Amino acid sequence: MKKTRLLLLFGALVVLGLLIYFPGHKWARKHVNYMTAVTDHPLKCTSCHLSTSKNAFIVKMLNEDYFSPFNSAVSKDGSRLYVVSQDLDQLLVVDTKEKTVLDHIMVGVHPHSVILDQDNSLAYVSNQWSDNVSVIDLATSKVVDTLDTGNGPSGLVLSADGRFLHVVNTFGSDLSIIDLTSKKEIKRLVTGSDPTGTALSPDGKTLMVTSRRARMVPYGEPLVSDLTLINDSTQLITKHMDVEEAYLMENIAFTPSGDLALMTLIRPKNLVPTVQVEGGWMMTHGIGVIEQNEDGRIVQLLLDEPNSYYSDPFDIVISPDGKMAYVSNSGVDCISVISIDSIRAIIKSTSTKRLETIANDLGMSSRFVLKRIKTGANPKGLTLSPDGKKLYIAEQLEDRIGVIDTETLIKEKSIDLGGPDRITVARQGRRLFNNAGHTFQNQYACYTCHPDNHEDGLVYNMAGKDMGRNVTNTQSLREIGDTPPFKWNGKNQTIYKQDGMRFSTVLTRTEQFSYDDLDALVAYIKRGIKYPPNLMYNPHGELSEAQLRGRELFNRSEDNLGNVIPENNRCITCHPPPFYTNLKAFDVSTLAVTDDSILFDTPHLNNIYASAPYLHDGRAKTLEEIWTIYGQDDKHGYVNDMTKMQLNDLIEYLKSIRASEYYQEEETEQQASFVKTD
Amino acid sequence: MADNGMRQTLFTLLTILCFSTFFISCNQKSKEGMLVLTQMKGDVPAGDYTSGKMWRYLPTARLVTLQPDNPKGTLQVLTPDFYSACGPKIAYDGRFLLFAGQKNENDTWQIWEMDLSNKKTRQVTASSENCIDPDYLPGNKLVFSKLMDKGTLKSGHMLFTCNLDGSKISQITFDPSTYLASTILQDGRVLTIGKQLLPNEKKGAFKVMRPDGTKQELFFKGDPTTSIHSPAWEMGSGKIVFAASNGQNQNSIISIDYNRPLHSMTNLTEGLQGDFYGVSTLQDEKLLTSYRANKDNLFSLYEFDAEAKTLGKPIYQDETYQILEAVAIKSRHRPKKLPSEVNPEVETALLMCQDINITAMEDEGNDKTVEGATRFEILGIDASLGIWDTEKDGSFYLKMPADTPFRIQTIDGNNQIVNGPGSWLYLRPNERRGCVGCHQNNEMAPKNRQPLAVRKDPIQIGFAKNGNDIEKYVIE
Repeated sequence: MKKTRLLLLFGALVVLGLLIYFPGHKWARKHVNYMTAVTDHPLKCTSCHLSTSKNAFIVKMLNEDYFSPFNSAVSKDGSRLYVVSQDLDQLLVVDTKEKTVLDHIMVGVHPHSVILDQDNSLAYVSNQWSDNVSVIDLATSKVVDTLDTGNGPSGLVLSADGRFLHVVNTFGSDLSIIDLTSKKEIKRLVTGSDPTGTALSPDGKTLMVTSRRARMVPYGEPLVSDLTLINDSTQLITKHMDVEEAYLMENIAFTPSGDLALMTLIRPKNLVPTVQVEGGWMMTHGIGVIEQNEDGRIVQLLLDEPNSYYSDPFDIVISPDGKMAYVSNSGVDCISVISIDSIRAIIKSTSTKRLETIANDLGMSSRFVLKRIKTGANPKGLTLSPDGKKLYIAEQLEDRIGVIDTETLIKEKSIDLGGPDRITVARQGRRLFNNAGHTFQNQYACYTCHPDNHEDGLVYNMAGKDMGRNVTNTQSLREIGDTPPFKWNGKNQTIYKQDGMRFSTVLTRTEQFSYDDLDALVAYIKRGIKYPPNLMYNPHGELSEAQLRGRELFNRSEDNLGNVIPENNRCITCHPPPFYTNLKAFDVSTLAVTDDSILFDTPHLNNIYASAPYLHDGRAKTLEEIWTIYGQDDKHGYVNDMTKMQLNDLIEYLKSIRASEYYQEEETEQQASFVKTD
Repeated sequence: MADNGMRQTLFTLLTILCFSTFFISCNQKSKEGMLVLTQMKGDVPAGDYTSGKMWRYLPTARLVTLQPDNPKGTLQVLTPDFYSACGPKIAYDGRFLLFAGQKNENDTWQIWEMDLSNKKTRQVTASSENCIDPDYLPGNKLVFSKLMDKGTLKSGHMLFTCNLDGSKISQITFDPSTYLASTILQDGRVLTIGKQLLPNEKKGAFKVMRPDGTKQELFFKGDPTTSIHSPAWEMGSGKIVFAASNGQNQNSIISIDYNRPLHSMTNLTEGLQGDFYGVSTLQDEKLLTSYRANKDNLFSLYEFDAEAKTLGKPIYQDETYQILEAVAIKSRHRPKKLPSEVNPEVETALLMCQDINITAMEDEGNDKTVEGATRFEILGIDASLGIWDTEKDGSFYLKMPADTPFRIQTIDGNNQIVNGPGSWLYLRPNERRGCVGCHQNNEMAPKNRQPLAVRKDPIQIGFAKNGNDIEKYVIE
């Protein structure tokens, strides 16, 4: 009897389990199908709900702290390598002979570059996300000073006499000149947009600063980026040179003789309909050679080959004898070894008329690239030992320093920085994001159009149906994890769909990500992307008077005449905190004749100051233009009653908007006010 | 007691299961490491390169396996039931074999797949026409050449793809050329020998296209005397090897770089006397090749070191049979599975040219830019389909009927031909394609410029509905 009861109970439990399991399984399948937009994604709850969790405990458990080496500098005797650890805010001191880490020195936030003074007693580290430079006494390994800079300090160089420190300010698009005696910034010079790289000519006369973003021009006009020349002794800008059809000029170096300067660059094809990848139709990657003579020509040469691309060239260094240059191709994990004499021969035989032709010639690289050497994941900054015999490579996503013997061009044992051995899901996603291996013939990585997980400032002809239609402004990926749907038309409900099958058909044009890789990529985009604070417009969270006035205008429900503004035409209705989007689609009257008819997904506004140009097709160069030129019908918010001063205030407020984490409480307040209104 | 009985029964069953598994696995011994050879008695037929009829259809050939470390051991005949079999290709997992075979002398050639563990064969294609030169595509598919023979009309082979079970057969080439000896590159594209048949015959060249037939382009053509005589094989180092002759009767092993195929031709056997029938990859820099020192000898199997450029000792020689093809049975890296933009429900495709005045002449260092063409003509198989003006920047933008061959020539204001007509083109349904110029340097990336033509709607080109019918252009 007892046995029968037990059997009955067991049977009931099985039936109950089945009743729960089958509908549950069916529901889960439906849910996963919706989220991934495919029907065969594995039913693995952890794919999404664990790797993209915001729970602090889970985040801590799943993730690791990596060093992520970015740049380095070597001592005069070659015995010490100073490595910038971008993710842990440290400068690592490395014994190059023993290949061991001797010291970890805490610096500012998100350090970018390091240089040493002439007698190697001090190191200067630019802290890109805390707007300062750490001065380190190398004898004691202590930070002895912190120098204020402009916004987003990156590239560093000392003046020829060693009295001044030149700091390139990436976010401010300028250059700070700091007097090292008074430790004060004495001058700020305007550079090209989003600069990072800088180098001083061997004769100490000319400082060059590269820019990463092109000048803003209406869609269809030629792409031009800026190379800024500064006289080191007068500390005045001598010239802004046009670098045509190129951008993302990350770094620059002079030959020892000073006859040439070489910089890395990318030649995008954003004006060409994106109908194919074959033949360099989306992105090409190369170097710019600036002749240091009267002609001062800039000769662009591709590092790519007809069937193989070497995406995202980052750093360039030149051997002490001026014969060889080394370029880190971050997107394909390799170093391109270049014969500078071959480049000299090419440019000598090339007339100015043919410069544009050879700049697009995928066959040229076979004339000057001697070798490609594989590295660890995502090679960034390069440093040559003083004798030129060792090349040190900051392998950012490998957490180690690669070492190449430049005489044999063979890789030696790497320097392990002591980071975690485990590769987390988000780290794997970051590797995928930065690697071009998932694009046909390695032509570009996610990073290429989204440098620093942001956007490249360009508008692309995505050729959705017909060519020439639907030009699209690249969107920033910062903080997009919680702002579905995606794309300007909001057609992709999740990042899974955005980066899934269709992504491979229209964009990468090669095999789609495996589901494990897609899980990792989504985890990284949703939770792994870090971004700089809004130190430019809202460094401390206290709004200026103008910003406060602007906030009132942003939140207003009545116009200047006291008339009630319809709720769906108030800024706050569609752009509520914390993300400043209500995640819905609207017609804001900005559809172009070349656009298919769509509603626009309301974009989030966090750190919107850094995302110019604006609107779906990038037609507005500034936030002001959204209303002064393109918002005259009041369909994109009711603004035309505002005075010029009021509009200025509104813009100031918009620029002050920081990361969503600062507005969680406002969300609650906002919701409460909506409830009251209702 | 009952428990003991149950245990004994269970034990017996398990023992039987283990023994069965053991015997089955012995029977299905892995062929990994072995070689598959194509043997043929008698003289090697002289190649009829135009139709491929003789070259690719070997009479009375058979496939055998060979243990390379015991070449004197007995060969195992894989195709005893076939009148002729050749063109072996190994699946990416090393477990299956595709080949072209003829069961009986008067049968058409069809594609077959063999399970190498038990030698069971399965017919993949069942066409009334000859199907040859198969190779595996990622995603359980294959590509093969099918003869489009129209009785008295001159023959040509078109490329087709289908599932491994023979379903979903799809034609992917549509121009008046013959396509043979396909192989799949690691990037996922089909590399094939294409040879224009009309209006005049041209030498064969390697063409490359996506498995859906889109984005076809020239991959390698060599100099005017180069004749390609074997399928290509891609090595791990990125080199691509094949047999070709250079205006002589004997073939050499040629290597080109995947990265820059048009300008990297190297004769690996320069200075070596003799004839190389075919070549395939073995491992690293080692190749398998069919070689004979002179015409009096039979072709034998040799190892060839591509790096040292040296011919090794023969792996296998036969006194009766020619050894014409050899492939290693091994698992290998699967090429990328490329997505397709083809939509069979769409009847048209789009073509954009940036500037018809950009030509290879401009790039050859003489600073002479060919100027002057302001119009272009679309030529169909047997008629002009019209002349149109380009935009001021030399661009044009067309909507074409899909799967329909056409050529383009450029014309100046006086109706004089400036350039062309070029090679045959065709676009697949829904394909969108761009050209930098006409007869442009194949290594030239486009200028970053929005062509004026795409600011307007495309020019609509209309063809006869059956314009893609092979009978239209295959002539005696």
